[in-house]
This record gives sequence, C-alpha cells and structure tokens, in this order.
Amino acid sequence: MGKLISNLFFKILIIFLVFVALLPILWTALGAFKELRDIVTPIPKLFFTPTIENFTTILQNPAIKDGLFNSIVVVTIAVLIGALIGIPAAHSLARHVKHLGDDIQFFVLSLRFMPPVAIAIPFILIYLELGIYDTLFGLVLVYLITTISTIIWLAVPAFERVPISIEEAAKMEGCSYWEVFRYFSLPIAAPSLFGALVFTFVLVWNELLLALTLAAQNGTLPVVAASITSLGKEVPWGVINASTILLVLPPLVFIGLLMGIINSMVGKDPS
Amino acid sequence: MANIKCTSIKKSYGDLTVISDLNLDISDHEFIVFLGPSGCGKSTMLRMIAGLEEVTEGSIEIGDVDVTHLPPGERGVAMVFQSYALYPHMTVRDNITFGLKRIGVPKNEIDKRLETTAELLGISNLLSRKPKNMSGGQQQRVAMARAMIKTPKVFLFDEPLSNLDAKLREKLRTEIRKIHMKLKTTTIFVTHDQMEAMTIADKIILMRDGKIEQQGTPTEIFDRPANHFVADFIGTPSMNFIDAVVYIENNQAFAKAENICIPLLKDKFENLKDGQKIELGLRPSRMNFASKDEIGSISGKVVLVEHMGSDGQIIVNVDGKEISFVSQDFLDVKPDQEVSFTIDPKHLHVFHHDTGVSLLSREVR
Repeated sequence: MGKLISNLFFKILIIFLVFVALLPILWTALGAFKELRDIVTPIPKLFFTPTIENFTTILQNPAIKDGLFNSIVVVTIAVLIGALIGIPAAHSLARHVKHLGDDIQFFVLSLRFMPPVAIAIPFILIYLELGIYDTLFGLVLVYLITTISTIIWLAVPAFERVPISIEEAAKMEGCSYWEVFRYFSLPIAAPSLFGALVFTFVLVWNELLLALTLAAQNGTLPVVAASITSLGKEVPWGVINASTILLVLPPLVFIGLLMGIINSMVGKDPS
Repeated sequence: MANIKCTSIKKSYGDLTVISDLNLDISDHEFIVFLGPSGCGKSTMLRMIAGLEEVTEGSIEIGDVDVTHLPPGERGVAMVFQSYALYPHMTVRDNITFGLKRIGVPKNEIDKRLETTAELLGISNLLSRKPKNMSGGQQQRVAMARAMIKTPKVFLFDEPLSNLDAKLREKLRTEIRKIHMKLKTTTIFVTHDQMEAMTIADKIILMRDGKIEQQGTPTEIFDRPANHFVADFIGTPSMNFIDAVVYIENNQAFAKAENICIPLLKDKFENLKDGQKIELGLRPSRMNFASKDEIGSISGKVVLVEHMGSDGQIIVNVDGKEISFVSQDFLDVKPDQEVSFTIDPKHLHVFHHDTGVSLLSREVR
C-alpha cells in the first residue's frame, strides 16, 4: 500500500516536472498560432481561433527564409566536416596515441573553456583582412573549432568502449587499421557517435554570438530571430513565437531521434 | 601446420622487462599449454606470437618463416580470446565468415567450410543469431569456429574457458582436445588453471616472472618438478613442504625433522651430504595410511577432513605443522584422532633448502 502511494507520488511529481519543463515551449507554440490581440490580452486565452498567419509571415519574410537557409548550410557543413575530421581523430586518440590521449583531450576541451567573445573580436579583424568577413565560409570555419573539438571530446570515450579484443580479433583476420576502423570500431561505436553528432548539431544550431559578430549580413536563424525581438515598440509577438518554434524544431526532432535510439539500445540489452 | 621457434625473446615496456631471454621450440601438431600465475608473461608471450605485441628483442619463426615483424594477419595464426571478442554488430554467420569473405574466397567454398566448421562445433542452429543473444559457451564455440574456418597453421587460445562455469569448462576442454586430435593443428593454449593444463596439454610450459621454470609433459611436471615453485604450483591439494636435515647411517640416507624420519632411496637424489639442510616435498595424493611403527611413517592428530567426492583430504597436525594427504578411506576419520601415514618413497621429492632446485638425480629426471 505504502509502495503504491509512493509510486503514485513519484508519478505525479514527474508529470509536474515535465509540465514545468515543457510549459515555456508549449506556451510559445500556443502563441505561434495566436493573433496579436489574443496574445496581448491581460487575461491569457487558452481558447482562440488559431491562425497560421504568423508562420506564413515568417516563411515569406526573406530575412527569415535566408536565415533558415544559412543555418542549414552552415550547420550541416560544419557538423559534417567536424565528423569527417573528428571521428577518425578520436579513434586514433583512443587507440593509437593513447599516451597523448589525455593531453590532447584536455587541449580539445580547453577550446570549449574559452568564451566565444574572446575569439570574436580578433576573428573580426582576421576575417576582414582575409576578406571572408560576413561570409558563410568564414562562419563555417569558426564553427569547425566547436564541432571538431566537441566531436573528438565525445567520440574518444565512445571508441574506448569498443572492446579492444574485438579490434585485435579483426587484426588477426588480417584487417588493416583502416578496415578495423571502418568495419568494426565505427559500426560498434555508431550509436554513441550519432549522439555526439546530434549534440554538436544542437550546439552550433543555437549559436548566436559568433554568427552575429562575424556574419551579421548573412545571419543564421538565431541572428534573425534575435533581430526580430528588437524591432521597436510594436513587438510582433506572434511572429517571434513562430520563428522560435521554427528554430527549436530541428534540435527537438534530433533529440527525439537520439532518445529513441538510446531507449531501443537500453531496452534490447539483456544485461 | 607448423612448428614454432622462439629465440632469445625479450619484451619490455619502457624500463619494465616482463620477459627476458626466452627460448622455445614447439614441434608441429603439438598441443602446448603456457601455464603460470597471473603476471608471469604467458599471455604476453602468446600475443607476441600472434603479432599483437611487438617483440623487443629476439625472433619468432612459424613454419620456418621469420614472422617477428609480420602483421598478425600474415602469420597464418588464429586466436581465440578470453572475452570471445565476437563482432556484436554481425550475425554468427558473418562473424565466422568475415575473414574468408575479406580475402575473396568464393561463396560456395565459404558455405561448404562454414557448414563443416559449424557442425564440428555444434553451432549450426545458431548461424543467424547475434552474439548478445547467446550464452557464454555458445559464444566461445562461435569464436572457435571463427578461428578454425581459416585453417590456420597455428591456433592460439588466450584463457578461452575462464569466463565459463566449471561444468561447461570441462565439456569445452574435452571438445578442444578432440578437435585437436582431428585437425592436428599446432596449438598454444594459455591458462592459469593447472588442472586445465594437466588435462589438455601434450606439453606444459610453466612460467614465472617472464621465465620458463620447467617444460615437459603433464606427468613429468607432476612427478618430477624441477624446483619448489613448480612442485607447489602443480597439484591439488598442494604439495606439503617440510624442512629437514639429511642424516646418513651405514650408507643409508634419511631425512629427519623432529619426529619425522624418512628413508631416502639410494641413487634417486644427487650427492646428499650428512647434515645437509633440505626441503622435503610430499604430494598429498602419493601418501597412504600406515601403522605407527612402519619405517618412515608420519604421525599426528587430525585437524580437519574435507570431502572431495571419491577421495577425502585429511589435514593432520604434525609437530605443529599442517600436512595434508588424500585417501579414499576417509569416512571414518574424525578430528582429533591419531593417524599415521607414509609416502611412497618413489614419489618423495627433495629440494635444495636455499635455491629450491630439485635434488632428483639426472637419470631419474
């Protein structure tokens, strides 16, 4: 009986916590479908005539369309190149240069210690000199610091979890380093590596400061969304809500996928 | 199939030398066991033969080909790991056939070999399963099949049975032995379990601290241990050791220690001197009940009787020291009872008191 009550209590607690966590997002989502007068009423409305006007506004807005395009291009390229360089690097660190592993891991992490502001201003000067200021190329370049370092940081433990005897068994079959990596380490570590990619994606997708300082004219979605909030007196709340939803959708979908993979892995594991 | 020759092998990790000047000659078809306590270098030696560890100095030949610096895949060896090391993302079929597919063996040839190998190991019904859905015994069979299908010149087993329960271990041990009788592939098997080594080996190589302490057939190792360490390591229950002094009277030598006086067989031991300090070694399984007056009998009070199935281990307090012996007639023996027993003089061991080297004369050895 006591167990039943405590079970019930925990369930209610969890539902409450989930509600608290989701409330801002739900409220934003709700706001995205409201007309402005439904949003600014003193008494919040739960029931209203929904409109998709906000979404049509932002999707027709060239700045936001460009922002979305820029975001997708920059983030995709940065994450892909980050993976191409970071994942093999992580495997080497985990297996072949183990003695250097800790130092390099710390160096890689130290790149993340640095506040972006600290590199933003020198980068402006360097980029102006190089003529890549305000270009997507420049933004991809600076994002590579984040993606490569984060992917290495997360992928090294993923490769370390691959039992070394499996790689040795593959070597006994005559596999070269590349074949060991390609046919064994990579597929076995794949679920964890996918998690690392998703995390890295979310990290750069939400990045605002560097995008704002280095490529304001070719702004990514966070830059555009931020600029809408500073439009003056007539704050278009509905449009802001709608663009926020657009902004959080890709990370949410990715994280949903990630959780699905993790759950299926945990669920199948007999131990 | 091939012989293996290791010459002056040295292995160091930085300043730490784990194996120094090790020489080894393994004939074709032999079933060799590397035996020793953990950290003795037996696995390192195996991994050097496999090509998974670099050799610091010396050379390794397999089938008269110098393989010292060849990568593992080109040595013609196959290995079975303690942790099975199956590829978790592949089915059993793919696990076993990966190596053959990789080198481009035609599909019908692969299928034929797979069928034979799977049948030999009794895993034909598991081929489409993934490793994680199988028991440890099944996984190890798959690992063995994976090693066998390549028909290597040499099989290497790195403690393959130590993750299995006792019953299964015994069963697989017998199977490995039977398969070896059929295939006759030169095999090196690493274990720390002396019982396993005794049952499975043609020849045991007993190692300690990166050196070979003794090599020989199980019988040789058991009945003619070269030194104290070997005598102590082999056999369950362990050998009893008693400090004694040689005492010679009328050309007959005795070993004396407090109330013990055991006659020593003539010519069995090398130059024993009167008054020489020695260490006696008595195998529990080579002792029998005797009457108190019998020459060489040892008497004491029973401390404990342990059932071992058909036999019993009787632990006796002799002059304040515990000596155990094994007998079939143990059921009526009770603690605190006075008992006497003798050792079969043929099976008495004498070791140098300080160096621990066996004093058995060379002819006997």
